[in-house]
Amino acid sequence: MRNHLLAAAVVLAHAAAAWAVPPANVVRAPGKHAEDTCTACHVALDDERLRVPAQLANGDIHYSQGITCAGCHGGDPASEDAAVAMNPARGFVGKFSRRAIPEMCGSCHSDPTFMLRHAPNIPTDQLAQYRTSKHGLALAKGDTSVAVCSSCHGAHGVLQVSDARAPVYPTHVVDTCGRCHGDVALMTRYAIKGNEVEEYKQSGHYAALVTKNDLSAPTCKSCHGAHGATPPGVSSVSNVCGTCHPTQRERFDLSPHKDAFAALQQPACESCHGNHAILHPTDGWIGVGEKQVCGNCHSAGDAGATAAFAIAGALERANGAITGAQGCVDRVKRAGMLMDDADVKLEDAHQSLVVAQVEIHTVNPARVDEQTKAILASTGAADTLAAKAEAEIRYRRTGLFISLGVIALAMVALIFKVRAMER
Amino acid sequence: MKILDRLWHTLDERLELAPLIDFATHKEVPQHRHSWAYYFGGLTMFFFFVQVATGILLLLYYRPTAEAAFESVQFIVTRVPFGWLIRSVHSWSANLMILAAFAHMFSVYLLGSYAKPRELTWWSGFVLLLLAMGFGFSGYLLPWNELAFFATRVGTDMVSKVPLVGGWLLKFLRGGEEVTGATLTRFFGFHVAVLPMITTALLATHLAFIQRQGMHVPEGLEEEAKTRRPLRFVPNFMMREGVVWLAGLAALAALAAFFPWELGSKADLFASAPAGIKPEWYFLFMFEALKLLPPHVLGIEGELVGLGVFSLAGLVWFLVPVLDRGSSSGHRSRAFLLLGWLALAYIVSFTLLSLAGVFK
Repeated sequence: MRNHLLAAAVVLAHAAAAWAVPPANVVRAPGKHAEDTCTACHVALDDERLRVPAQLANGDIHYSQGITCAGCHGGDPASEDAAVAMNPARGFVGKFSRRAIPEMCGSCHSDPTFMLRHAPNIPTDQLAQYRTSKHGLALAKGDTSVAVCSSCHGAHGVLQVSDARAPVYPTHVVDTCGRCHGDVALMTRYAIKGNEVEEYKQSGHYAALVTKNDLSAPTCKSCHGAHGATPPGVSSVSNVCGTCHPTQRERFDLSPHKDAFAALQQPACESCHGNHAILHPTDGWIGVGEKQVCGNCHSAGDAGATAAFAIAGALERANGAITGAQGCVDRVKRAGMLMDDADVKLEDAHQSLVVAQVEIHTVNPARVDEQTKAILASTGAADTLAAKAEAEIRYRRTGLFISLGVIALAMVALIFKVRAMER
Repeated sequence: MKILDRLWHTLDERLELAPLIDFATHKEVPQHRHSWAYYFGGLTMFFFFVQVATGILLLLYYRPTAEAAFESVQFIVTRVPFGWLIRSVHSWSANLMILAAFAHMFSVYLLGSYAKPRELTWWSGFVLLLLAMGFGFSGYLLPWNELAFFATRVGTDMVSKVPLVGGWLLKFLRGGEEVTGATLTRFFGFHVAVLPMITTALLATHLAFIQRQGMHVPEGLEEEAKTRRPLRFVPNFMMREGVVWLAGLAALAALAAFFPWELGSKADLFASAPAGIKPEWYFLFMFEALKLLPPHVLGIEGELVGLGVFSLAGLVWFLVPVLDRGSSSGHRSRAFLLLGWLALAYIVSFTLLSLAGVFK
């Protein structure tokens, strides 16, 4: 009976609060409450919507810091009387409207003095950033379909970002964004394709995240921002990619592509590498043939195609030399030779190849060729070492056969001697 | 020749060497259908000599510290002239020595040569085999590579199962709680000082026993041995043994040239153990059997039971001259003969099956 009364009171309170923007007194003093009667009653309720939040309280980062239900919902947690505890006169707000949520969370999270006491390392500009985001701007216009704080972080049972179970942990954030951004029907309303998450999951970035467990690999928020989520504009794409790929960006800035792309209002990196489905590039991309990126703008015979041809040729020579040298070194290794010196040379060649692949962004064949020469020098040294090792193997085997011959002669001589003596 | 004669005369005058020469020239080796078994002991000794010679050469460059051991072996096999050969021969010879020692032991056992009055020879030989395995175990760690490091960790860990003194023994072997540079230095000490000293003394004793007692003629072959003319030890048997040694040398040279002993990668104390860690082949029969045991047998830890059984089996093997009572009077027990064949079948089959990867 008590539970029913309580439920009725809560439903009434919710009905009243459903349209409410947060009253000024909602989170006035979200400090530690000596008593918390909210969870004591709510965990026993039949209505799942009222019971589950109380069950989640124990794992919640706020609750562990002493910020109980009343910290957000107001009311009097010390009173066991539901009518008193959930009295709007005591600041009680039931379920928040979506519009109210960012302001409600921000009332603490944007307060540096308050945050300093609980989590001094967390920034306090989330609300300010959110207001500039596509989500925040749409919400301000009354669109309640957009993401608010609880859409990503959850409402109850909120976990720290560093907690591997959190929906905003690097390995989960893609699916968290994907809950809305993978909904094609919803995204159509915003002229967004809705296949971005699907595309991202084909990318080298996602592979690094899930197969290598590289938590530094970029997820949605790395390029779009988290609280201030917005698509980077055409002009800032290279800034975004350049955060992690500064050398490529620097080389691109040296290239004639920089001005040409700007004039054509083409995004820098994205034009060749794509945006969400960023595949691991291969040297085969260079050229104007089918599935080759230079062909997007250039055609056979023009200066760009000529440069691409020269670069592709240089890379092919380099790759061929590395494969050849690696084969020679592996062959003598299989014969049992230690080839550490040759391995160092091959490693040098691989390093130079990486530099050559970065130099592609200058679209200057001479700069790529400079690295090709270094690669050929390294592979040449590895080839020489492998040839020396092969000569050493031949020398050892010749030595062995001579030794075996001598040993065999000695054995035969001994056998004859023994026979002669024992006859 | 005059100089040699005078030198001999001088030495003989002072040391009375003539009886020794007399002994050597009159020493005979009986001939029968199993005389081939007499060559294994000498072959084992040949490999031991190779070990001593190549070991001393390796010592010129080897540095026994965790920081430098791997690099010094790498230096030996890549930079030192013929260093690759010396190291490879040392590793191969170690394995062939154990193989020859096992062949020697089983031929002695199966031909019943352990019987009175040769108990002491059997016992000294048994300890020599344990010493050889100790050489193998301690030497395996010295290149300080990944496989050796983890195999030593597993191997030394077994010692900790010994009741009462296990913990102490583990610390004694490792020079601490874990396998570290301290273990390497310790194993180096055992390998190049302690074990060679004991082995040399015991080998000399073992040889002295054999010389004193002469070769044993197996039960049932006495008549045949009487009908065949025995071989003179010097020079006939020595020359025949020389042929065997040369064959051993040829095998060593071929193995070292065609299958240089691998070095692997340097041990990383913080890396996780690579898959498929195995000890040297001569420990495989025990290693695989211990792995097959359930975690607990009659409430006792399975591994402890296994080690207990192996210790007991080793003790029975050691005490066989006493336990096989009839052997002293020339009547060997059939049960002990069967035990020998079973032990041989078990060791050979488990080792081969393990090498073939059956126990994965």
